[in-house]
Amino acid sequence: MNYRKLIAVGAAFAFVLAACSSGAGETTTTAGGGATTTASGGQIVVGVSWNNYNEERWAKWDEPAIKAALDAAGAEYISTDAGSSADKQLNDVDNLISQGANVLIILAQDGTAILPAVQSAIDQGIPVIAYDRLIEDPDALYITFDNVGVGKLEAQAVYDLVPKGVYAIIKGNQADANADFLREGYTEVIGAAVDSGDITICCETYTDNWDGAKAQTEMEQFLTQENNNIDAVLSENDGMATGVVAALEAQGLAGQIPVSGQDGDQAALNRIALGTQTVSVWKDARELGKAAGEAAVQLAQGAALSDVKGVQTFHSPGGNDLTTILLTPIAITKDNLNVVVDAGWIDQATLCAGVPSGTVDACP
Amino acid sequence: MSTTEAPIDDPKSAERSWFSSLLKLLHISSIRNGFRVAEIDNRLLGMLGALAVIWIVFHILSGGTFLTARNLWNLSVQTAVVAIMASGMVLIIVSRNIDLSVGSMLGMLGMAMAVVQTEVLPNWLGIGHWAIFPIALAFGLLIGALIGALQGAVVAYVGVPSFIVTLGGYLVWRGGAWALSRGRTIAPMDRTFQLLGGGSRGTIGETWTWIIGAVLCLGIVFLLWNSRRQRIKFAFRIRPMWAEITVGVIGCGAVLGTMFVLNHYYMAENLAKRYAVEHGIAYPAGGLQIPLGLANPVLIVLGVALVMAFVATRRRFGRYVFAIGGNPEAAELAGINTRRTIVKTFVLMGVLVAIAAAVSIGRLNAATSGLGTLSELYVIAAAVIGGTSLLGGIGTIPGAVLGALVTQSLQSGMVLMGIESAYQQIVIGIVLVIAVAIDSLFRKRVTT
Repeated sequence: MNYRKLIAVGAAFAFVLAACSSGAGETTTTAGGGATTTASGGQIVVGVSWNNYNEERWAKWDEPAIKAALDAAGAEYISTDAGSSADKQLNDVDNLISQGANVLIILAQDGTAILPAVQSAIDQGIPVIAYDRLIEDPDALYITFDNVGVGKLEAQAVYDLVPKGVYAIIKGNQADANADFLREGYTEVIGAAVDSGDITICCETYTDNWDGAKAQTEMEQFLTQENNNIDAVLSENDGMATGVVAALEAQGLAGQIPVSGQDGDQAALNRIALGTQTVSVWKDARELGKAAGEAAVQLAQGAALSDVKGVQTFHSPGGNDLTTILLTPIAITKDNLNVVVDAGWIDQATLCAGVPSGTVDACP
Repeated sequence: MSTTEAPIDDPKSAERSWFSSLLKLLHISSIRNGFRVAEIDNRLLGMLGALAVIWIVFHILSGGTFLTARNLWNLSVQTAVVAIMASGMVLIIVSRNIDLSVGSMLGMLGMAMAVVQTEVLPNWLGIGHWAIFPIALAFGLLIGALIGALQGAVVAYVGVPSFIVTLGGYLVWRGGAWALSRGRTIAPMDRTFQLLGGGSRGTIGETWTWIIGAVLCLGIVFLLWNSRRQRIKFAFRIRPMWAEITVGVIGCGAVLGTMFVLNHYYMAENLAKRYAVEHGIAYPAGGLQIPLGLANPVLIVLGVALVMAFVATRRRFGRYVFAIGGNPEAAELAGINTRRTIVKTFVLMGVLVAIAAAVSIGRLNAATSGLGTLSELYVIAAAVIGGTSLLGGIGTIPGAVLGALVTQSLQSGMVLMGIESAYQQIVIGIVLVIAVAIDSLFRKRVTT
């Protein structure tokens, strides 16, 4: 009997673990040791530790950009895949070093758990680049898009259209620091107008898992509460904007109330062409890969962190002053949709599905 | 539900004026005794009471927005997805199994239907073809049934515990949802398909809402009359006439009251203007009030709940499920094909998840690979709050639907009040445990 109980408890625990790990984002676990290429000695070898190579983005956009930057400098590329396991990533970092990597680029599964491995690499004289996700170590170079900047661009596009009125704000996952960075960016743009009373924030909430369906329910409740007297919606990403627009659609307000978003989701870009979403801030992953590759080469050639091109100081949430390269994202609105088409991010047929011809320049 | 101490009315005495009996009721010392005579389910009544308290408290705390036609209409639509799945989960749990995979399945089936209707069928039929809706829906239902059959077969014939099988399913189908779209959001849905999700066009309007209300009302009266007739025929104890009439009046009143409220939520001003233009009506100065009535998702919930309740209580299959839940060995020895019955419960669950997925993507007008994340927990919570026992053998479909309404009321109410999501989770978690605790204390007292 006790034995059975033990199994049940064990199973329940496993379930909770599984639920937690899948809550961290869309991850599919991968089996085995990951792709590893061996290095030859004597030249620059850049080791990249991916946290989860199964996500489409890394293979399709980031890795080719890093490789291209390294090829241009004649450096070699080796990589490992941690398969969403913070434990495995610690070993991966050691493996990359023993394979001869003299610079590391780490996309951390867990920015805190990776700290011992990062510190030990730096102690061995191997520079570390924190790629896209924060690692709270002042000796590592942090390369990311400026998330406060993303928030600023989102708010600016909406503020230009609605300088006075009632705003609703749909924020992302509370546990994700990005949700607060974005909100900070909003404040930088609309804060003064809020203080002067031109803008009223009627409603504001976090949304579990950045879930679009949840955002739809939230927006419905906001509209009910305010009796539809909402003039603009700041939604932190495109997935939630999907829900917001669906809720507005049900009130016949879609296209009349500006809605923001980010990520350049294909569905969101289509909505921009249709006129039901105002802006999607797009972070070109290839820019990020290129910057990381170039920085890696400079560090391998002996440059100090502060000498790397384009760095600035970033005061992190953990209270550290980090050396950082902050890339500027692009705000995509109906006026510059051609940017994403030209970049090959989306094809014109997908972008213009259901769009009457001649309403936006990108859809002739 | 044994009522051994209840006073026995024979058919003749039932002919007496119910009014005098009602007077007698007023003299009954204990109210509980009165309920027992009337054979009113205490549990269901308790839940309705809890719901009433929740609604009134939120109404006061939200400054008078909760109990408005608009918010109640929202609530009815928001409850639909979980309610549909919860009515299937009842049978799964009653037969001493569990299904942890429903949230992931919802994600994958939603994604499958979305991909079929936006990326596969338009290539052959052209965008907006009428056949896209039925084909995409049928495809989803078929895949749902197959997944259910697969999981059920592994549980029943291979003997792997359902906890493990569906835990596997939880991971597999979520991964499947991602793989089908490589993480993209698929949108927009087919025009007809969107109607499944409600929205401004997806309602049945005032007249049909009243018709549905009247039909449901007649149904209640018929059921009461029929059960009385049967009981008289087999010389069973019958309810006193006053109880029959009270139950009938309250039931009908609740149904018609709901329809009344839903008919008092009007089409949004912008849409009403558009409607006026489309139908060549001059837009009146005071505004055009077009009642929306029952939303399609709610209609689907009603249909699903009626069919499931009928299957669970009036069909041999339903009886078997409860028999297996009560005592699997005895059921098997009594000649029930327990394995086939278990597989059938999972097939049914799969089909219901497919229906819920269709409603879900129709409502969001998009499919995301995270669709339905954590909803297995809300579905199980709804069934359990609705009185389904995890030990098996006990549970009702109306209870589960009501359970879904209770959890959604809490969530929507807290959003209205601007409570952050972390605290919403805390409240719902506590309510779940309290609901089950009260229930088990109550059961203990009844049985001893």
